[in-house]
Amino acid sequence: MEVSVIGNPQTKIYRTELTYRELGFRFGSQAISGESRNRVSFLTHQSSKWKEIKIQSSPRSVRCEAIVSDQAPFLKPTPNSRSLEGVKLFVGLPLDTVSDCNNVNHLKAITAGLKALKLLGVEGIELPIFWGVVEKESPGKYEWSGYLAVAEIVKKVGLKLHASLSFHGSKNPEISLPDWVAKIGEAEGGIYFTDRYGKQYKDCLSFAVDDVPVLDGKTPMEVYGGFCESFKSAFSDYMGNTITGITLGLGPDGELRYPSHQDGTNLSGAGEFQCYDKHMLSALKHYAESTGNPLWGLGGPHDAPAYDQQPHSTPFFSDGGSWESQYGDFFLTWYSSLLTSHADRVLSVASSAFKGTGVSLCGKLPLLHQWNKLRSQPSELTAGFYSSGGHDRYEAIAEIFAKNSCRMIIPGMDLSDEHQSPASLSSPESLLAHIKTSCKRQGVVVSGQNSAASVPGGFERIVENLKDESVGVDLFTYQRMGAVFFSPEHFHAFTVFVRNMNQFELSSYDHAVEGDKVKTMSIGSGTTGAASLQTA
Amino acid sequence: MSTVPIEPLLHHSPLRHTSLNGARTFLPSSLNLRCHFTSKKLHSIGRSVASGNSLGFLSSERRRSIAIRASSSDTAVVETTSQSDDVIFQENFPVQRIDKAEGKIYVRLKQVKENDWELSVGCSLPGKWILHWGVSYVGDTGSEWDQPPEDMRPPGSLAIKDYAIETPLEKLSEGDSFHEVTINLNLESSVAALNFVLKDEESGAWYQHKGRDFKVPLLDDVPDDGNLIGAKKGFGALGKLSNIVVNPDEPGADVQEKGKSSSGSTKEGKGLEEFYEEMPISKHVAGDNSVSVTARKCPETSKNIVSIETDLPGDVTVHWGVCKNGNKKWEIPAEPHPEETSLFKNKALRTRLQRKDDGNGSSGIFSLDGELEGLCFVLKLNENTWLNNRGEDFYVPFLTSAALPVESGAAQVSGKTPKTNQEVSDSGFTAEIITEIRNLAIDISSHKNQKTNVKEVQENILQEIEKLAAEAYSIFRSTTPAFTPESDLESEDEKPEIKISSGTGSGFEILCQGFNWESHKSGRWYQELQEKADELASLGFTVLWLPPPTESVSPEGYMPKDLYNLNSRYGTIDELKETVKRFHKVGIKVLGDAVLNHRCAHFKNSNGVWNLFGGRLNWDDRAVVADDPHFQGRGNKSSGDNFHAAPNIDHSQDFVRKDIKEWLCWMREEVGYDGWRLDFVRGFWGGYVKDYMDASKPYFAVGEYWDSLSYTYGEMDYNQDAHRQRIVDWINATSGAAGAFDVTTKGILHAALQKCEYWRLSDPKGKPPGVVGWWPSRAVTFIENHDTGSTQGHWRFPGGKEMQGYAYILTHPGTPAVFFDHIYSDYRSEIASLLSLRNRQKLHCRSEVNIVKSERDVYAAIIDEKVAMKIGPGHYEPPSGSQNWSVAVEGRDYKVWETS
Repeated sequence: MEVSVIGNPQTKIYRTELTYRELGFRFGSQAISGESRNRVSFLTHQSSKWKEIKIQSSPRSVRCEAIVSDQAPFLKPTPNSRSLEGVKLFVGLPLDTVSDCNNVNHLKAITAGLKALKLLGVEGIELPIFWGVVEKESPGKYEWSGYLAVAEIVKKVGLKLHASLSFHGSKNPEISLPDWVAKIGEAEGGIYFTDRYGKQYKDCLSFAVDDVPVLDGKTPMEVYGGFCESFKSAFSDYMGNTITGITLGLGPDGELRYPSHQDGTNLSGAGEFQCYDKHMLSALKHYAESTGNPLWGLGGPHDAPAYDQQPHSTPFFSDGGSWESQYGDFFLTWYSSLLTSHADRVLSVASSAFKGTGVSLCGKLPLLHQWNKLRSQPSELTAGFYSSGGHDRYEAIAEIFAKNSCRMIIPGMDLSDEHQSPASLSSPESLLAHIKTSCKRQGVVVSGQNSAASVPGGFERIVENLKDESVGVDLFTYQRMGAVFFSPEHFHAFTVFVRNMNQFELSSYDHAVEGDKVKTMSIGSGTTGAASLQTA
Repeated sequence: MSTVPIEPLLHHSPLRHTSLNGARTFLPSSLNLRCHFTSKKLHSIGRSVASGNSLGFLSSERRRSIAIRASSSDTAVVETTSQSDDVIFQENFPVQRIDKAEGKIYVRLKQVKENDWELSVGCSLPGKWILHWGVSYVGDTGSEWDQPPEDMRPPGSLAIKDYAIETPLEKLSEGDSFHEVTINLNLESSVAALNFVLKDEESGAWYQHKGRDFKVPLLDDVPDDGNLIGAKKGFGALGKLSNIVVNPDEPGADVQEKGKSSSGSTKEGKGLEEFYEEMPISKHVAGDNSVSVTARKCPETSKNIVSIETDLPGDVTVHWGVCKNGNKKWEIPAEPHPEETSLFKNKALRTRLQRKDDGNGSSGIFSLDGELEGLCFVLKLNENTWLNNRGEDFYVPFLTSAALPVESGAAQVSGKTPKTNQEVSDSGFTAEIITEIRNLAIDISSHKNQKTNVKEVQENILQEIEKLAAEAYSIFRSTTPAFTPESDLESEDEKPEIKISSGTGSGFEILCQGFNWESHKSGRWYQELQEKADELASLGFTVLWLPPPTESVSPEGYMPKDLYNLNSRYGTIDELKETVKRFHKVGIKVLGDAVLNHRCAHFKNSNGVWNLFGGRLNWDDRAVVADDPHFQGRGNKSSGDNFHAAPNIDHSQDFVRKDIKEWLCWMREEVGYDGWRLDFVRGFWGGYVKDYMDASKPYFAVGEYWDSLSYTYGEMDYNQDAHRQRIVDWINATSGAAGAFDVTTKGILHAALQKCEYWRLSDPKGKPPGVVGWWPSRAVTFIENHDTGSTQGHWRFPGGKEMQGYAYILTHPGTPAVFFDHIYSDYRSEIASLLSLRNRQKLHCRSEVNIVKSERDVYAAIIDEKVAMKIGPGHYEPPSGSQNWSVAVEGRDYKVWETS
């Protein structure tokens, strides 16, 4: 017997696990208990097993293996947690992957990066595709070459591709709307979102012009539709195999919202209503007249705070303030209905364009967690999320998504309450839970993303969110590739995160094992243990 | 009695989902498998093997240790293969062919007048020649060098540590390939002999004399080791001079003494004679050629058609074999063989390539059975000249027709033929690795070498990932202007709570260098230092840097010999332990000075060269780098610069690294050191340092990466980005596991203070111009150490301006280090006030610095909005706004305020 065991590495491996198990047991029973139900059950389960092994382990290694193999898997999924093996991980490419002259920027870096990600086990890549790059020169003239080159690389490396069709512009890196659109914007005015100071937000068209033929006789929806059709034919070779998902840009930064916070404005405020372009104003006027309050249709709320003012510094958002009044309900209902119908229009255009291609459609929501502990939740109101009578503000949106069989992307899965400044009365965790519940009710599948800036403890938070079984998130897109992403410190954290996603684990338990292992090592039992098994 | 039924274990392993050791293992294979297989069996193999932690090879430490090997991968592959569908492999391999150029070295000693002599060394071959030299003083024994006195050094000389000088040879005249350097000798100095070797910077080759340094004796009684030149001994020695080949594999050189054309006339003055000697020299000149290989799958015959083309001149023979069954063993393919093919020892085939019509190179076509997996070959130019692919056989894979080639050598592991090949993934790139894993899985069931194989695959994948990520990082980084400042790089670090990392400690560290160049003299330094523990703690230091503790050939400790012998001129091992304990008691962490670059040998090899080690680490010459001819190492080429006074350790050897890691851990445990100051880290790749840090888990570590700043016409350049980039690159190679001394900042402070050019202290982006401006948390700022100052004074801080230097580094981000001599000087009270200010205001290594003035005569900055400082004679007062500034410390040409 000795001979057959000695020199067989398998035995040693096995032995090491025995050691771990023992340690885990010891620690488990003292330290971890009471942390959460599933953990306790996990450990109990394990400890009973360890005992069996221990009894059997010395002379006949054969016996103990038999026992091991008869056991059910250690980890029984318990009601509130689940394995992450089913979660697909995507990583976003840099926003400026394709320059506005259709060159692929940092091609070599991207190629190397994609290979690294593939080896890591990442499922796919998200590629932001900008309207302003593809249809830059003139309407109906599409230039896909840069993005096609990227798709080819992604395919070659063997990753999946998720295309984000972006009908917005970006400040950093600077990518604007198509030149010809900008020209129209200059000449005509009123096609962009505008705030009460008359300042235009030139990175996104106003929701009010969706069905107005402002773009050379076409409505923006017709233009978006053409864009989608062109994309479909240009990438037909990739559809359904390499390309598995398409995200439709629904507003500023691709998110379904009004640009209530603009670059350079202070996020500490609640944002401002963006209803002052001429089309918005005329729609408001019309709506006011039709509801019998023509005087309410002359403009937006006069008592809303400015960008950098605290929400309750003016009456609108305060308790019992205008937002709760009849006027408030009138205005906010109208304001939010435009948002909802915009989502519906874009998603319908896209779902008819991509019907039968086998790709899933997505739309992204913002996570407007600032001030959401206030009753009025002003950040959501200025961004267009409202429901009359205190109903669920996300219900209507989720319904639209469900109707168009569209997945919902929710960002900010890395945010946790404890890292929010107490002054901002913010709770990303509860808002996230809220939106997820709304989606679940409507049967909308949720995909996750992290917030743009990296935050402390972000990866741990993401894993927690993905483990939450109440709403199964089966796809997560990590934003975004670039120098910081590949910097040694960050990339290491990322690989740890990927590993955690793929091997479901309980972190505190793990630390316990680690801590104990060090002790064992110092006693020097590691190798001698193996030896004793061999000679047994 | 019974065999172990491995198979069922693997099949039903319940370990699949456990997290037992998940935190330490890193398992890309299983991640991949998730994408490509559903085979539970494979998965569990991955798990079980990864759990084989008894050897620790998959622990996270290990993971990091399999770090990036400098080279970047050839990403062009992706594009090239897309050109034609039936092309399954296409690559252009660069190869180097070595040609020999011949010339001569001459050495001339000439008397100018009385005691003034001139030594000229010249060379007739083109190249970037550097004279690497030092002197022996009267009374010196042994073969060590010393630095020559200041007045002997020709202009343009560069001090290399404290042992040698490097002086470039100048062209004698334009268009001439003769280079020469002249050194003035004064016989009244106590120099007994001059030692030198010649270095060609272009090729990195060293030229020496009979396997030794050239030695020119200025006195009669210089011991003759057979390497003297000129003078009386020279004549006699002529007969026994022999041809020493430095290293036939390297583009090295032979120097052979053929004769000398003159004999000097005897003069007075210590019996010195003029002489002139010539030695023939040959230099290997590398010719760059390439071999391009294209493999196609012929759709009709399903044969693999390989075409090999090269621009190598002359006859080229391909020495080749084919690979079957997933391993890279050479086998002879079935006939027919191509034309001009002969069988070589039943192991390989030799095919001569056809000369191309235009005469530039040759080419050949090989038609091979479609079932083969690959073609291995090397090129043979003549009997003695073989070319391979950077140390490995060229390999052309055919295996997965859809696959792209993985980097050569990245994942070639032997294994069995996959029995189920139809499952090969549609994705090109990783297919090969996956095949390997699959092979392994099959292998394991027959349990045969599985451990090494899995380990190799794991390592290969990890290596590949890190390599690729590093490449992506370097490119992304370079497309953003200069360096990504720390604020972006470390945004995750900006947690309020203290995070300990070996690169930064707590972030609030203040270092004290606890010795100077003379500290060994008392023989009881540890004890003396112990007595100062309370004092140093009360001054506010948190970390103490102790001198190198090992037995050393030089009393200061920087020429270590037996690493496990910690009795040194500073005291015994017990005194050392006691000292460490004492400092721990007062809350000061202790750094050990680890000299890892070089080590002095115990024994001579058969050629009489000192390169065999004794003691507990009794390494042989494989532990010595091969590219320093002094020591005839048999290791690999150095991964950094060489330090010439002792054998440089080859850190690429696994056994060396293992031993060093063990030693560091031992020192942590035995002595109680909390971290390291790493000597001469320019000498080896930073990735190894990361490996060592991961293994020894220091609380704090800092490396000495000291090279020269850039000067133009003797004037220091304003922009020292290249200099700090080199230091940052090193830190990066360690993955930030160690900080580095901010030599850049010291250099710029020199220029700014000395010449009243305070404008130098702000870079074009308004940040500090040193490492501290780019990566503050890893910059260890200092103004003086035992080398630059003390009694050596290699690069002394401008005298009288030290306090300005301290006012700068003790208020700025980075981790400041204070030199021992300064603490026990008149500056003590001023330094103490600055230290207490830094601690009081909680300035740390990532503090925000806002430069408000950098003009000719004054530099001022506000740090973290709570400390303001100015240095220089010019005027500055902090703004009298909302903040209430009060003067905290004030002295000659500096002033520091704090908010109250």
